[in-house]
Amino acid sequence: MTAGTPETKDVVIERTLDAPIALVWQMWTDPEHFKAWYGPMGAAIPVASIDATVGGTRLVCMEMQTPDGTMQMWFTGEHREVVENQRLVYTESMCDPEGNILSPEEMGMPEGHPGITEVVVELREVDGKTKLTLTHVGVPADSPGATGWTMALDKLETHLATS
Amino acid sequence: MTLVEDEALLSETFAALANPTRRQILARLAEGEASVNELAEPFDMSLPAVSRHIKVLERAGLVVQGQRAQFRPCQLDASPLEAVSEWAEHYRPIWESRLDQMDSYLQELQSNQSEGKTK
Repeated sequence: MTAGTPETKDVVIERTLDAPIALVWQMWTDPEHFKAWYGPMGAAIPVASIDATVGGTRLVCMEMQTPDGTMQMWFTGEHREVVENQRLVYTESMCDPEGNILSPEEMGMPEGHPGITEVVVELREVDGKTKLTLTHVGVPADSPGATGWTMALDKLETHLATS
Repeated sequence: MTLVEDEALLSETFAALANPTRRQILARLAEGEASVNELAEPFDMSLPAVSRHIKVLERAGLVVQGQRAQFRPCQLDASPLEAVSEWAEHYRPIWESRLDQMDSYLQELQSNQSEGKTK
């Protein structure tokens, strides 16, 4: 196990987009724009509600066609940091269509915590284009159970590496 | 598996791991297979309660219960854990695909705008 802060397993992606910074900001905060691009291949976004203020919520429905019919997945989260045209931080959890985070009981567990992840969007203007840095943090450092989590994963990874 | 199904499975693995009892069960199984009774030993809880935890782990694909008559020992299946420890690698293609779509949507929006401006 490494000393100090545990190695986080974040997704970090940088993109330079040929668009003004204010328009890129709207991609994340305007529901109509967000719906237009957010669905990964094969998924549509029928519902997106975004209150881009600190403490404001997001509710997003992702819909896809499967051999068993239409499948919906709902995600909700809370905006933690909102600095217009610069920085947006929000959490993301699976939820029901009313936006209630699926409790451990509903997921068939007597105790524990639902998985909460955190998305950080940073924008910077570079020569008239917009540099976007996206960070998706698997286990936010201040989330309940984060320490136990990281330790358990470290332990299991050590096991996996040696087996 | 599609990217979205992949994401659903990951969420389930995360949820299964978000419990100290279940993490302890996995840590025990990392040392070798064990019966439900053996797994229950260190815990101050009923056998059915421990079984429920094992069921959650089974659903997440982390534990496989053997078919060998009476003993039916539990075994660790670490493959979903590899997906969790490679969390970033799983999410990266999802985000790459999304940002590709954002990029082309932005170009589309702006070309419509400039067309609108020209007489």
